[in-house]
Amino acid sequence: MEIKPIFSALMRNKTGPILVAVQVALSLAILANALHIVSVRQAVAARPIGIANEEQVFTLSVRPLTQGGHEEQLATQRAQAAALRAVPGIVSAADINQIPLSGSGNYNGVASSREQVRSIASPTLYLTPDSLVKTWGLKLIEGRDFNAQDVPEIDAKTSKVFPSVVIVSKAIAEKVWPDAGSYVGKKLYFGTGAEAREVSVVGVVETLQTPGAAMGSEGEYSTMVPARITNSVRSTLYTLRAEPGQRDRAMKDAEQAIRKLHHGQVVVRSTTQSEERDKRYRADNALCWMLITVSVLLMVVTASGIVGMASLWVTQRRKQIGVRRALGARKIDILRYFVTENVMITTTGIVGGLLGALALNQLLVSKLELARLPAEYMLLGAAASWALGIAAVYGPAWRAASISPALATRSA
Amino acid sequence: MFQYYFLLGVRSLRRNPVLTALMVLILAVGVAASVSTLTILHVMSGDPIPHKSERLIVPRLDNGPTKGYTPGEREGDEMSYRDAMNLLASGQGDRRTAIRGVAGSIEPARKDLPVFTAEGLSPTRDFFAMFEVPFVQGGPWSEAEDKAGADVVVLSRKLAERLFGNANPVGQRVRMFGSDFAVVGVYGNWKPVPRYHRIIGGSGAFGDEDEFYIPFHSAVRHELPQNGNTSCASERAPGYQAFLDSECIWIQFWFELHSASDRPQLQSWLDAYAAEQRKLGRMQRAAPNDLFNVMEWLQEQKVVGKDSRLSAMLAFGFLLLCLVNTIGLLLAKFSVRAPEVGVRRALGASRKEIFTQFLIESAVVGLAGGILGLLLALGALALIGSISEQIAVTTKMDWVMLLVTFVMSVSAAMLAGLLPTWRACQVTPALQLKSQ
Repeated sequence: MEIKPIFSALMRNKTGPILVAVQVALSLAILANALHIVSVRQAVAARPIGIANEEQVFTLSVRPLTQGGHEEQLATQRAQAAALRAVPGIVSAADINQIPLSGSGNYNGVASSREQVRSIASPTLYLTPDSLVKTWGLKLIEGRDFNAQDVPEIDAKTSKVFPSVVIVSKAIAEKVWPDAGSYVGKKLYFGTGAEAREVSVVGVVETLQTPGAAMGSEGEYSTMVPARITNSVRSTLYTLRAEPGQRDRAMKDAEQAIRKLHHGQVVVRSTTQSEERDKRYRADNALCWMLITVSVLLMVVTASGIVGMASLWVTQRRKQIGVRRALGARKIDILRYFVTENVMITTTGIVGGLLGALALNQLLVSKLELARLPAEYMLLGAAASWALGIAAVYGPAWRAASISPALATRSA
Repeated sequence: MFQYYFLLGVRSLRRNPVLTALMVLILAVGVAASVSTLTILHVMSGDPIPHKSERLIVPRLDNGPTKGYTPGEREGDEMSYRDAMNLLASGQGDRRTAIRGVAGSIEPARKDLPVFTAEGLSPTRDFFAMFEVPFVQGGPWSEAEDKAGADVVVLSRKLAERLFGNANPVGQRVRMFGSDFAVVGVYGNWKPVPRYHRIIGGSGAFGDEDEFYIPFHSAVRHELPQNGNTSCASERAPGYQAFLDSECIWIQFWFELHSASDRPQLQSWLDAYAAEQRKLGRMQRAAPNDLFNVMEWLQEQKVVGKDSRLSAMLAFGFLLLCLVNTIGLLLAKFSVRAPEVGVRRALGASRKEIFTQFLIESAVVGLAGGILGLLLALGALALIGSISEQIAVTTKMDWVMLLVTFVMSVSAAMLAGLLPTWRACQVTPALQLKSQ
């Protein structure tokens, strides 16, 4: 009913409305993409490691000044583990070669048969003489945990022995044997060809992330083999679980226990699993905050643009508003005029913004290999733009509606 | 006339204080967002050693197995011990160095200090001259010590102060890796950004400073494990010697050429070397042998992260929005000045004069936006830098970016001012005068 006169009024002076529409379009295009990127990153950071109650878990890195030979190292490892387990508040401890989310780790190509020339995937390899299922509270969905008979003692300097059993994560099992329903008893090969090492699957855990925790299912390509190794690395890592709420104290006590065991001739360092998580996702969080800040600023700038333009029009049309009021238009009519006008401009901007969002997403996909923009973010962005437009114009429109007809027409 | 219009512009800032403040603020926010993200890109993609970057060359060979090989794929960018030794002995280029990472415990002589671990590199002697490591005390180890793999060490100033306080550490001994190393030099304040000499295999392009350097052959003699990446495409026998003899890749190699024009010569030498190795049964993949100078190497290693480019792109989108917004505000500001323009035109000012005046006025707004934008950008960079030390090294603003801030702000304001200024020029003096 009112649209036609508003439209012809808009067509008489196009610059202002075009500027507002362009602002809405630009902000919508960026907003939809920014929100999408934020939600993708948040989803990535929220993925479970597979460790139950990770706030109780921490890592201890132990580096004695002297190592000694194979037998001495074996004895040292056992003594260290025993000393750690004796610390009050420690629920469980496991000797380990690498830590999830820590960034650095071992990855090995695997195959499902000796005939394969190319490895199927490169899962990470957790080595432990203890039980990670127990210490980390991993969820076994099939098979069993390692037992004492599974653990070979390997001197990395001389021996080529390799463990014979493996526990795999569900993600790598599904990758290696895509059609199998059950994985226990399957043979997995580390490496390819004649020299590949054959191990049989004894268990499957639901989730266990790799030290890299890459995006997608690759971040969960994990294998665990039981082994007690000497002469391989100079520092031994232990992953420990403390009783709820006791982590920080237990961590200090554990460090002390190791120092005491080695009479101070040792370098001990500890990190909590939460710290590893923070470090892994620090860059993602920083980007999210940057995008959220830009999004908020976008909305503020666009809103201020709408308020500015609408206020200008109200000032310019003071006299006309007075005349309309004098001729019988109610306050609500004036209010409705400005709101309708704004909705028309915003809608034009939104149409342009949706196209712009797609174009920007296309650019991001091709240049930076980001994900495609789902439709719901465009709808969400469009709804936000409408709401923003109406909220922004409401103030100036209300001032227009409050213009007294007598005062506005008098000065003419 | 410029000066007068400039003063008019400054004075006009006070005319509509709210409108002008809004304009300056919006421009400043847009400029700050762009400049802060651009600064990070600028630092990340900067040339860390401009006078030499054309002459420092990374060679890359492919010694992977042919089994399951598809042309184009790579296991890693490092080099095997055998190739590194052959290249060191090659005599190609003015200087050569092989670099690998080492980490170990240091036992301070002072009993009040606990044992701690330190991370450093183990290069050959040419390293110091090639990368122009600045020494504050002593100097690099000698050629003989380099060849023999003597137990000598160059400390960072930080580590030297930690171990010896203010005393001159040269000639002193440090107990590390269970042996006594003699300190031959201390280097200070060498933190290239990016850390181009060891992007691969270590803590990356923006990682920590190296704490010490020991001779390459010394680390091998002590059988120190590699600290950093090691990629082995095939199985190897147990033991350290077997590791050295294997095709595992773990060493970063650099050449320094006498001049950039010697590169084709090095390339043909490298091709000949690979062909010779092929005759010995190695390098069967026959992949191309690559050479990279510093900037090519940074590009190849994708030192500028995708997230940084994404931030910069979105920040520029935001600046564009601020620009459109400013156009609207300037239109509003200039439209109320129509009577003034009418009077000036009637008194003989040409359209060109009006155009210049209003454009200069826009530029003044841009200048004000630039000043505020600079402050905001410095604040934003400090905030971004507080996230981690790795990021902090990339959030340093330099003179170039300072200049860019003002050029960007002023040109954005002038661009935004074009349409409003053109509108102001269209004022017909007669109509304006009549209506007054």
